[in-house]
Amino acid sequence: MDARVQTRPAAVPIGLIPTPFQSRLEALSRAKSWVNWAGYISPAVLDTVEFEYFAIRNQATLYDISPMHKYRIRGTDAGAMLNRLVTRDVRKVHLGRVSYVLWCDEDGKLIDDGTLFRLGLDDWRLCCQEPMAGWLDDAAWGFDVTVTDESHTVAGLALQGPTSFAVLQAAGLGTARALKPFDIQEFEPGLQISRTGFTGDLGYELWTSWARACALWDRLWQAGAGQLRAIGFEAMNIARIEAGFIAARSDFQPANTAIRLGRGRSPIELGFSRMVDFAKGHFNGRRALLRDKPQYSLVRLDVGGFKPADGALIYHRRKKEVGHVTSGVWSPTAKRNIALAELRAPFGADVADDLWAEIYVNAEGTWERRLERVTVQTQPFFRNDRARATPPGLF
Amino acid sequence: METFDVIVIGAGHNGLAAAAALGARGKRVCVLERSAGVGGMADGRLAHLVYNLSEAERRRLGVHLSEVDTVSLARDGRHVAIRGGSAAYADGGAHPDAAAYAALHARLVRFAGVLAHLAEAPPPGFEGGLTSLEGLREIARLGKVGLGLKRLGKAEMREFLRVVLSNAFDTVLDEIGDGPLAGALTADAVRGAWAGPRSPGTVFSLMYRLGQGGRVFRAEGSMGAVAAAYAEKARAAGCDIRVGVPVARVVVEDDRAVGVELEGGVRIAAQAVLSSAGPLQTMLLAGVAHFDVEAARRARGMRAKGSAAKVNFALSGRPLFTGLSEAQHGARLVVAPSAAAVEQSFNPAKYGELPKAPVLEMVLEDGRLSVIATHVPYEGWTDARRAALGALVAETVEAYAPGFASLVTGTEVLTPADIAAMTGAPGGHWHHAEMGLDQVLTLRPIAGNARYRLAVGGLYLCGASAHPGGDVTGLPGRNAAGQVLADGVL
Repeated sequence: MDARVQTRPAAVPIGLIPTPFQSRLEALSRAKSWVNWAGYISPAVLDTVEFEYFAIRNQATLYDISPMHKYRIRGTDAGAMLNRLVTRDVRKVHLGRVSYVLWCDEDGKLIDDGTLFRLGLDDWRLCCQEPMAGWLDDAAWGFDVTVTDESHTVAGLALQGPTSFAVLQAAGLGTARALKPFDIQEFEPGLQISRTGFTGDLGYELWTSWARACALWDRLWQAGAGQLRAIGFEAMNIARIEAGFIAARSDFQPANTAIRLGRGRSPIELGFSRMVDFAKGHFNGRRALLRDKPQYSLVRLDVGGFKPADGALIYHRRKKEVGHVTSGVWSPTAKRNIALAELRAPFGADVADDLWAEIYVNAEGTWERRLERVTVQTQPFFRNDRARATPPGLF
Repeated sequence: METFDVIVIGAGHNGLAAAAALGARGKRVCVLERSAGVGGMADGRLAHLVYNLSEAERRRLGVHLSEVDTVSLARDGRHVAIRGGSAAYADGGAHPDAAAYAALHARLVRFAGVLAHLAEAPPPGFEGGLTSLEGLREIARLGKVGLGLKRLGKAEMREFLRVVLSNAFDTVLDEIGDGPLAGALTADAVRGAWAGPRSPGTVFSLMYRLGQGGRVFRAEGSMGAVAAAYAEKARAAGCDIRVGVPVARVVVEDDRAVGVELEGGVRIAAQAVLSSAGPLQTMLLAGVAHFDVEAARRARGMRAKGSAAKVNFALSGRPLFTGLSEAQHGARLVVAPSAAAVEQSFNPAKYGELPKAPVLEMVLEDGRLSVIATHVPYEGWTDARRAALGALVAETVEAYAPGFASLVTGTEVLTPADIAAMTGAPGGHWHHAEMGLDQVLTLRPIAGNARYRLAVGGLYLCGASAHPGGDVTGLPGRNAAGQVLADGVL
């Protein structure tokens, strides 16, 4: 008997895969600057990062989020299975609502975070950064649910910025006016719109099948003529740091992919205590989270000077190393040098004064070391009421 | 609602041992058994010999056991009679490998002794940390193992370390020639295991078998007497044993096991629940939602493929084995012509097929020949396949006892699947979980559950899947009871 597994490698594409929007992005790309996002070709910048960033904050932008991993979870036990998976109580997530969720391994360390869409009574979609098919299969074992990987069948477009609703309305989707933040609804057969995003601003995410993706792009593009700009990762990244959102592999290491011991961080260490519901019953990692004291805290920092502090070490009293910056940029809107940083306990939470960032600057071939004072911030660097107003403003 | 201190699920001998140990400490214990009788796999239909029962346990139970020889049958009639470390031809002639066998046996028994006292308590661990009293005790226990090794002397210690992870085939054949003697020894190393003598780790399983010196006993009456003694011990300790009472689920409230619900909906409350079943079955009883994904995954991955079938022949008369004396008919009779033959009997099982030449362990009783046949597939059984196995075993016996087939009035074939259904043993495995190096000591039955505790408070394993493992020893049950008391959950 030959027990070898037969594989047919011909079916596996070689190199990066185009997303369903690639033909449109290709035509718009002046920078020809592409990155690998989960195996897909994705723009880092299409034109210039400054244009793209200011479009997010001042007009409307389209960002292709098709490379996000999307899993459909259906079945009579779907709610129970998800409640064991994530740290929040999904029983509180009603039909047509979206929840930001986190899930942990048995040691209480974050595996990934993502958005959970309740599409039906027993019908959910989990959208996240990391591949999760194997984990969800294991998490589904023993429950009456089916997990379907929709990563390669569902296309996603993030329409973000103050005029994003105006674009929707011009595209004939004005009924989306009723959407409150974290609502999702199917407005046309095969087109779902959620009022979600990664920019902290007014914005929407549109979900449709791969086959209808280009038609959706063209419809929005025509409706937004003159006030809509396609953007890449770099601009989006500035916006998300301003909004204080964390990103996998920057601000935390997904527990299932870290090779070295002790690299995982708990949701509590990452500042999400209020999203951990110990009262709802068992969920993955609950016992570890109850048992282990937080060792780190992820904080928002206002950094002195104007040089981005990405990767900088943080010192207490200029001497003792207590952590490092996980994401740092100059915020064009706040006009401040901002960062997310991981500090060892008790720094950040209990001891927040006399902290310094060590920034190295290459001044035309000469390295300068700058110690800049940092102050811990409790609020996001970017907050604007237009992000939450319902009905949304027509700017 | 009825309330006890402890509920034990399953009245196998380990469940009963756990119940007796807790009852003796004044705890009110209720034992719930799904089937109509006590004993589980120690029942007379399934078991026929006692191997690893310690002297102390035997005295505690008050069972009468008589030591028996082993006779390894040879097709050419040169059967080998074995008792402990001595081997000779069944007709009294000297065996050429007798001295080498005696030395090998003595060494393995010595090595087994070093590991044996690890079986008498929960496996070592440092969860208390090195600064706690508990941690220091653990160091002392491990120190004893180290000291035992040291006492072996440098050469023997080196030999121990050389063979402990090795395979039985090489270790045995390095010392003696291949034939019925090597066959019997290697068959003992893998009986009930999903392994052949050439599989790594089979020296360890052979040492486990030799943990109490490797002596083999028959129970006076039948194996039922041993099971009954365990039940009697539990009853004497005040335990309430109920048979024919299947547990539908373990009730969990606020991350603690607070009792069980019977089929039919009746609830019984308790502060701790001990389960004789395997870790996965126990998790399912409590509800998999109460456990972490990784814990359930490890439980699902636990290796428990039963490889031994039990064949019981009802006989109209006493079969005569060619070349055996009257007394030798009462011995443990083994069909394992060589270590190579034992290895070959495992090969078909890997592919879900019946062995061409099964390895047998037989005990002749009044009106019955009780046979353990290895290696067989653990799944894919049909009635036709059962019949084929019965016929194959009968045919094999016939070759050593001409006329046997004509005495057979009934054949009962119990496959691993049947044994699983009868007793709840995971995979119908004779040790509830493979005794591989990846599933012993602190890794038994699965990483993270070595201390008999499952993650839900007050929920424990007390069956053979837990440390130290299979055989009728009562140790998993007793150790589990000790852990329950040490944890202070009562």
